[in-house]
This record gives sequence, structure tokens and C-alpha cells, in this order.
Amino acid sequence: MAEKMKLGKFWIWVAASLIFRLVLIYFPNNLNLASRPEVSTPITSLRRLTEGYWLKQASLSPYAGSMYHGSPLLLSVLGPLTVKRIEGQPNDILCSLVFVIADVVNAMLIRVIGQNLQTSYNQRLKSLGLDSVSKSSAILPSRDIAALIYLWNPFTIVACVGLSTSPIENMAVILSLYGACTCRVPLAAFGWVMATHLSLYPMILIIPVVLLLGYGPETPPRKLFMQRKDGKIEDSPSSHQSCQEGQAMEQQDLANIFSWRLVIKFLVWSLIWSGYVLILCGLSVKQYGGLHEMFKRTYGFILTVPDLSPNIGVLWYFFAEVFDFFRNFFLIVFHMNILFMIIPLAIRLNHRPCFLAFVYIAISSMLKSYPSVGDSALYLGLLGLFVNELADMQFSFFLFCVYVGVSLLSSVMHNLWIWRGTGNANFYFATAMAYACLQIILVVESVSAMLNHDRKLTKLSIAKHQDSKA
Amino acid sequence: MADNETPTPTPTPTPRPKQRPIVRLGIFLISHSFLFSVVCCTAGVVALLLLPILAKSTYISENALMPGSAKPMLSGQEVSEANRFVKDLIALNSNTPGAAIESQRLIAEYMSNLGAEVNYHKFHPQMVQFHPLHFFSSPDSRIIEQNISCSSYGVNTVGIIRAPRGDGKEAIVLVTPYNPGKIKQGEALSLGIAYSVFSLLTRVTWLAKDIIWLASDSQHGEYAAVAAWLRDYHMPVFTTLHTKSAEMCPVSNYLYELKDNPITERKIYDGFKRAGTMAAALVIKVVDRSERFDDSLSINAEASNGQMPNLDLINIVNYLAVHRQGFRVKVEKLWSLLDSKWLNVLGELFESVGQVVRSLNPQWKFGIPAADYVEGIATLASSLYNQALGVPTGPHGAFRDYQIDAITLEISPRASVDSMTRRNDFLLQGGRLIEGVVRSVNNLLEKFHQSFFLYLLTSPSKFVSVGVYMIAFALLVAPLPMVAASFYANAISLNSIQTKDKSTPATGSDETDITLRSWKWINAAKKVFVVHLWGSVVSLLPYFICRVPDLSPTISFITWFLLSVLSFLIMYLVLASSFSHAKASKFHVGEWAILKSVTISAAFIGLCLMSVVNFSTAEIGGLIVVPMCLMVYPMRLDIRVRTLRTLLRLACNLVLAFIGFPPVTFVLLKGAFEGFDNINIGDFWCWVQSLWAWSSATYLFIGMVHLPCWALCIHILFHHC
Repeated sequence: MAEKMKLGKFWIWVAASLIFRLVLIYFPNNLNLASRPEVSTPITSLRRLTEGYWLKQASLSPYAGSMYHGSPLLLSVLGPLTVKRIEGQPNDILCSLVFVIADVVNAMLIRVIGQNLQTSYNQRLKSLGLDSVSKSSAILPSRDIAALIYLWNPFTIVACVGLSTSPIENMAVILSLYGACTCRVPLAAFGWVMATHLSLYPMILIIPVVLLLGYGPETPPRKLFMQRKDGKIEDSPSSHQSCQEGQAMEQQDLANIFSWRLVIKFLVWSLIWSGYVLILCGLSVKQYGGLHEMFKRTYGFILTVPDLSPNIGVLWYFFAEVFDFFRNFFLIVFHMNILFMIIPLAIRLNHRPCFLAFVYIAISSMLKSYPSVGDSALYLGLLGLFVNELADMQFSFFLFCVYVGVSLLSSVMHNLWIWRGTGNANFYFATAMAYACLQIILVVESVSAMLNHDRKLTKLSIAKHQDSKA
Repeated sequence: MADNETPTPTPTPTPRPKQRPIVRLGIFLISHSFLFSVVCCTAGVVALLLLPILAKSTYISENALMPGSAKPMLSGQEVSEANRFVKDLIALNSNTPGAAIESQRLIAEYMSNLGAEVNYHKFHPQMVQFHPLHFFSSPDSRIIEQNISCSSYGVNTVGIIRAPRGDGKEAIVLVTPYNPGKIKQGEALSLGIAYSVFSLLTRVTWLAKDIIWLASDSQHGEYAAVAAWLRDYHMPVFTTLHTKSAEMCPVSNYLYELKDNPITERKIYDGFKRAGTMAAALVIKVVDRSERFDDSLSINAEASNGQMPNLDLINIVNYLAVHRQGFRVKVEKLWSLLDSKWLNVLGELFESVGQVVRSLNPQWKFGIPAADYVEGIATLASSLYNQALGVPTGPHGAFRDYQIDAITLEISPRASVDSMTRRNDFLLQGGRLIEGVVRSVNNLLEKFHQSFFLYLLTSPSKFVSVGVYMIAFALLVAPLPMVAASFYANAISLNSIQTKDKSTPATGSDETDITLRSWKWINAAKKVFVVHLWGSVVSLLPYFICRVPDLSPTISFITWFLLSVLSFLIMYLVLASSFSHAKASKFHVGEWAILKSVTISAAFIGLCLMSVVNFSTAEIGGLIVVPMCLMVYPMRLDIRVRTLRTLLRLACNLVLAFIGFPPVTFVLLKGAFEGFDNINIGDFWCWVQSLWAWSSATYLFIGMVHLPCWALCIHILFHHC
């Protein structure tokens, strides 16, 4: 009964967020969100996409004139929508509707992912005999919370209404996670390939996706299962629906067996999809310099950071200051920063691939060359999936306040610098640095809270073990 | 939390290892937050009072300006021409019916006789309306009024000299507001000064920037005319719709009959003439009231939202006026402060402290004479007040919206300027000042950027820069995060102790309590968010009230008040009911403390934001909001204890809560400065109306920071715990 009421409330909130977006879409000129640097970066701006589409219609290369830097596929999908006008409606209404739909789909996918994580996690806890933990913490349906956080996050709303393509990019990332969680390997591969194709950075998500497919979704630390096995404690055979269908294995073993079959399947599918995407791209940019030009203008643009217009990241300021002959060196250093953290995190968090994906996304959205609030929207939404595990997170109130403060202050500083002329670039960059620090604290605190949670589980499990022995 | 050895699920925290120094420092600050907040707040107020002493003398920061390095070239010839022009203008007044058009034609004729390009700029003054989104948008997104009535339009006369040495990419603007229907002597004189400079500049060889002389039609307000011209200057209208509607008015057309005049024909243009980007603008006004001792010059610089022009512009004007032309330069003061007792006492105190300091070490320069101190405070208060209002103090304000540095020079002559020689002297003096300023600005290679944009003036030659006055503000708001943290920490620890006492056998619900400990602020945050949402609804209400015609200010205010209360009730019923299930029994112990800490955090964020947008508003708002937020404590707890301390605190809280209500604050402040004789509630409405008409951020501050904080403080004060 209460469950039903809760569910009803959830759908009411979802509908409310949908209506809220639709209302906001009707005031695009007044809010002027599409020209905010926080919302639309050179990669995600729809205005640039429109420009690219016009160039293409005029039989020019869409990449001519350094305006458009996105994927040619996005151009063919969204381009026709940007020119279509409906009488009496705002200009980009069709695109906005697409983004709204993408947002709602994203939220639903997050909810399904959450559902999946929850059930499998509970089953694994049960097999360890730690149901009490799960029962007490399951009061909060993390899936609903995550979906609502995603939908009602001001960042998401702003990114959606502000005509940036980040909802679509986020959708690709979430699709791949969803596919991996539910063992739909082709879908996971498709999501991963598309996400990489659209914004390059999600390439690092291959590790969490492979872990997800190999080991299945989140588990408590793996060595607990080993101990249980050693302890030879009888467990009721559970009818666990795992990815390895048809294999009647013991629950404990499941967590420790890496299913190479699925991973290889994933790799093959990725190859197929990327080949397919490349062929499509090649066809669409054939007469404009081919794939080479596309790679140079999209990935090259992301990696070499030629556009130094201000955004909420930290790279633009740095590369505006740095001497030209050091530029390549620092480009490598900055991009290595992301790669350095991949392996250690993967080793430490390999039993929680979804959380690992969250950490990767947060890190890359902090260090990427053209970040926007759309990226933050994605990782904050994913953070909602781990509410139960992160219940003991420190500084949550502080983080919240600083998030609110920094996001308001950054737009004020930008106004002070660009429009009023009384501030300067340092004012704005200071907020960008504060924002980066904030993200660092968020990642550090959430990871340490997660590790603490694992430690707690270990303690409980050992205690139980000893109890049963005694 | 995790380090428990016992098998029970309730975690018992073992004593932690020694913490890092920064954490220890934080804990130390938090545990002594009361002491620190008292010390910081007092220090903040003292620092604010010390500002006149800490003010530095102004200096010219941009080397290229070189004010006064050249000999003034304005001679008797230009002045006598200007005098003839002034006489002609004044003579026009006799025949009233066509005076407006005649005077415009006369000015245009004189301009074009000098060889300038002349054009008329017709404009329709924009109605004062409440556009809630104007606060956030850049000036170019203003909506052009649709219904233009032919009866009210103004005509600016614009003359442009092309610089012989320039590339036409930069310009300097001289503005002389005047009322063409009835030209007063002061207006005629200001036109005369501009004319003398203009006629000189047509002949000089050193000019590198174009000169624009805008004789703005001040029938519909000085500001509106300049703003309309600037808007058309920066936003070319490509569609003919707008111009057509202006052409439709029959009256406007016969200005062009002027073109029949063969002499002026070649120089007067139909279209809108432009020069380059504007480097600086000077608004010249001559005030009719005569000064007793000296010719004096007062400088008005505050633009909308407390923005100031670059300090260098004020510096060169001040330097040239004082050292070259012998003007007495003034900036606005709050006169009522000049003879206040306590300020004089304070000034003497600081003076004697300064003497003591100097006797200790002659190198330390601290302290200024008491009279100077009081003057400084009065100027500072006026500066703060004008900036905080966010209403520009003259037509120069319109320029700041386009990032152009501009000031208004109000020249008041010593005695009456009726006599010929006296008038000549006055024109020469004023003309040379303007010439010197134009020559300095002409030297600029880039736009003004060297000196300060964020400063407060304590006298024409002394300023307090942002680095100094921010200290006062930072000290004032520093206790907010500290107290918020301390209340938060206390509430959390209190709660955990309480739950432990209540039930030793851990049940499921207690477990959640503990696991969700770090997220408990969410409920309070929801509440605070809803109240802030209500604040924004309240700030939007005047948009609808304005639509109702013929409401007196008092009735409007009362409607506004009632609608606000109604919206509060509605919000409470709709939103609070959905949250109420959460607060059923779980979070009662430290609920008010957490709510207070969230309130304080919100106030802190709001004040910090406002300090960047408009420092003065934040400072004045901070003086009211900070004590209110820090002191607030539930009344019931105070009454329950009933000691002298708690009763004192209760009294303080009640007084602060009363003062903190925005209309009451307004009435008290107004009464303090102007006396309580003729105060009525409608005044607040009028004041607020003027705020949003100028899209002042102060309005947003009151609606979205001050009012919600006050409401939350009241809520905490009457909290049932």
C-alpha cells in the first residue's frame, strides 16, 4: 500500500519535471541559456550544430570555419530538426523536445539500473547472511531517488532547456551502463561506441562495462565470499538470475568468476558497432575531406584544446597562459591525469563497477577540455544510485552548500567579467577552480565512504562467521 | 563508526586517533563559535567605521593620460562665440509655441556651422514596467515597446566631429541634457561650455578620437534620452518597422524642413550617424543655484547596481579641476551625518588614537583630523547609499550598461552669471576643464582598465579600494559559516546521543536514523528552499499588481502584503503537507538547530553573491541579516529556562525580528534620516517601484535573500520544540 503510494508520488514528480521543462522551453529568449558558457560548450552547443548543418546544406564541409566540432551523425539526426520551424512556437522547439525526451529516457534507464543493482546486491548480501544490513537500508528506494535527482537536478534542467546536446551524450553513456547491467551485450557495446564517438572521454568506461559484464553488478567485497566458501557454511540454494544463464553455480562462486564469454562478445560487438559508425561517418563526410578531417576536427579539437573561450573547466585559463613550446607537454600531462587514475581505481573498486563508472565520469568531467553542467548532471544522477551505501558520507551538507554557492557565483562572475567589464578573467577562473576542488572533494569523500561501507560489511560478516562457528 | 569490535549492529565509536591540524583548527573555531562571532562582527563594524582612515589618496594609474601636460588652447574667441550661442538660446525662450523645435534647429545649425556631421535622433521614452527577467539579461535583450504614441517623443541633436588623426574607431562623448521647450540659464550655459569645446576641437590637430556631442532632450527625463540614444547607437535596427512608426507622427517631419536652409543642407543627415566605440563620456550640467565661495564642481559617478566608472576618469577630472581650473570639487555627502554627535566623538577618539600611535612611532601614519573623519564618513555613507540603491545618479548611468566609463559634472558658478565678463570667465573655466579631460582621454591607447572599478569614495581625492572594504564585509559574514557548522555539529551529536539513550536495543528505525545521519539536513534544506521559492514568488507579485490600473501606493502595498501571505499559506498547504510525513517523529531533537544552520548557510551564500554584484547592498543587508540570523533561538526554550541571559536573548531576538522585516527596516531607516513626520506605508511601495524600474539587484536581494531569511528566523523563533 505504502509502496504503491510512493510509486504514485514518484510518477507525479516525474510528470512535474516534464511539465517544468516544457514551460521553460517556451521562454528561450528571456533566459538566454543557450549562450551561457556553463551550458553550451563548443562540443555541445546546438547553435554550432545549426551552423554546421547550414554549411552542409550549402555543400560546404560542416567543419569549415571552426564552428562545428561534433559528430556528423548528430548533424544528420538533429540538423533537420533545427531548421524546421513551427508557426508561433520558439525556434528550436523540436530539438528541445528531443532533449526533454532524452532526459526522461535517461531517468528511466537510471531507475532500471538502480532496480537491477538493488536486487542483485540484496541477493548477494543474503547469500552472505547479512540481510539485516540490507533490510534496514532498503527503506530508501535508491532507484527512485537517483531518477528524481537526475530529473530535478538544476544542472540537468539547464542543460536540457539550454539547447546543448549533452542529454544525448549522457543517454549514450547510460545506455551502455544499462546494457551492461542487464547483460544486453549489443546494447552495451552500442552505448559505449556512441558515447565514445560523441564525446571521446567515455572511452574509459570500457573498464567498468567489462567488469560489469564479467563479474555482474555490485557486490560486497569479493574476499568475503571466499571466506564463506572456506568456512563451508551451507546456504540455501537461491534461484539467482545471473548473466550466465543456464549455469547452476553456487552463489558465492558467481561473484568470483569472470565471464570471458560475455566480455569477448562485448568486444566483438564494439568492433562491429564502431565499424558501422565509422562507415556511416565516412559516407556523410566523404566529399568534405573524409574521416581524417572528421577525426582532426572532433577528437583533435577535444585533445588539443584550441578553443580557449571560458568555460567551467580549468584548461582554458591554463592554456591561454602557457607558452607555446610547452603546450604539447602540458596537453599530454593534463590528459594523462585522467588516465593515471584509471588503473588504481579499477583495482580498488573492481567489485563495484557501477560506482567505478560514477567515479570515472566524475573525474573525466572535472578534467575534460570542455566541461559543461550536463556532465555534472550525469554523475550526480548516478551518485543517487548509491544513497544507501553512502549514507555515512562526510561533508554532505558542506558539499551541497558549495555546489549551490559555486554554481550561482560562477554565473555572476561571468556577468561581471563579460558584461559589466568590472571584473576580469581571474574572477571567473576562481569559481572554476572552486568547482574543480568541489568535484575532487566529492569524489574523495564518496570513494572513502564506499570503502568504509565495505569495511563495515567485512566486520559484520566476520563477526557473523565467528558467531556461527561458536 | 566502522571501528566496532562488538557484534551488535549499533556502532560504538572508539576514540579516534589524533586529527590533522586543519581539522583541529576547525573544531576549535566551531567550539568557540560564540566568542568568535562576537569578535568578528564587532571587528566588521569597526573596520567599516575605520574606512575613512584607511582610505588612500587617488593617483593617476594610466600613464598615457598625462592630464594637464598640455597648455589649454581654449581662447577668448571660442568663448565669445559660445556666449553668442548662449544668448541666442536664451533669447529663443520669448516666443514659446515653437520654441522646442526652434532651439533644436538652432543647436543643429550651430553644430553644422562648425563643420560637424549633425543628425536628429527621435526616440520614444520607454515606459517604466516591471520585467522580472530584466535582472538577468544583458541590455541588448530589452523588448522594444509596441505601442508608441505620437504625443510623447523626444529629439536628441547629435553632432560628430571626425578626428583628423583617428581611424574613426573610437569616440568621446559629451552630453548636455536640456529641455528644448524651456531652456533655463544653467542648461544654456552647459550647452555653451560644450559648444566652446566643440568649436575648439573642430580645429585642433591632435584629435585622435571622434567627438560626439549629444544635446539630449530631457523632457522625458535626462536618463531616458541618453539611454534611448545609446540603445539605438549600439543596436542598429535593420527592420524598418521601428523607424516607420516614428515617421508616422506628423509633427516629427517638419524638423527636416530645416534642410531647406541652403547653408545647413549638406550637413544634416536623415539616418543615424555613428562614430566608433566610446572611450569615455562626460555629462555636463550647470546648476543654477549659486555657490557662496568658489565655483564648485560636483562629480556624480554611481551607475545602476552600484557600478562605478574607472577611477582614473574621476582622477583626471579632479586633478584638472583642482590644480588647473581652481574649482572646488565635491562628491555627494549625507548632510544629516555631518553634525551627528557620536560621529564627532568617534572622530576625536580616532584622532587621539592616531596621535598616540604617532608618538610611538612617527613612521606610522594613522588617524586623520576629526572633521575630516566625519566628512569622510558622510561621503562614504552617501556613496554606500547610492550604490546600494542601485539607481543611477544621473544620465551617465546609461553608459555603464555598455561598459563605457562616464561621469556627470555638475558645475555651479560662484555668483550669478548674468554679467558678460563673468559669464565669459565661467565658460572659459568650464571649457578648459572639459578640454583638458578630452585631451587626456584622447591620449588613451586602450579603454580604461588600469585603475579601479570597485571602490568607494570618501572624498574626491580619497578612495577605499575593494581589497580594503571587503575586509570589513568578510569580517562581518565570517561568523555565518562558523555558527552554521557549530549548530550542525551540535545537532548531529545531540541526536545520536539521544537515540542511544532512548533505545539500547537497536531496532530497524533507529538504525536508519544513524545511517542517514549525514543526510539529515535534507529536510531542513527542503524547508529553506520552499521559503526561498516563496520569496521569489513574492518578488514576482508586483508584476501582476502593476497591471491593475489606478491603485494608490498604499493600496498596492496592502494588496502585495496580503497576496504574499496568501501565497505563503498556499505553499505551506501544498508543499509542506508532502514533507510532513518525514518529520513525524524522527528528527525532532535538533530540528530547529539544523534548520538554523541551513538558514544561516543560505544567508551566507546570498550575502556573498550580493557582495559581488553590489557590495553596498550586501554590506547594509549584512548589518541587518547577520545579527538576526546569528541570534535567533527558539522562544519556548528561552522561556523554559528563564534566566537573565535567556530573557535578554529573547528580547534581542524579538527586536531584531521586528527590525528585520523589510518594510519596517525601510520605515526606520527613512525615519532616521528624514524624520518620522510624514511616513506612510505607501512610501515603501514607491521605493520598491523605483528599485525595479531601474532593475536594481537590491530588489532581488530583498525579495530572495532578506525576506526568506527573516521568515525562517521567525519560524525558528516560534518553533515548537
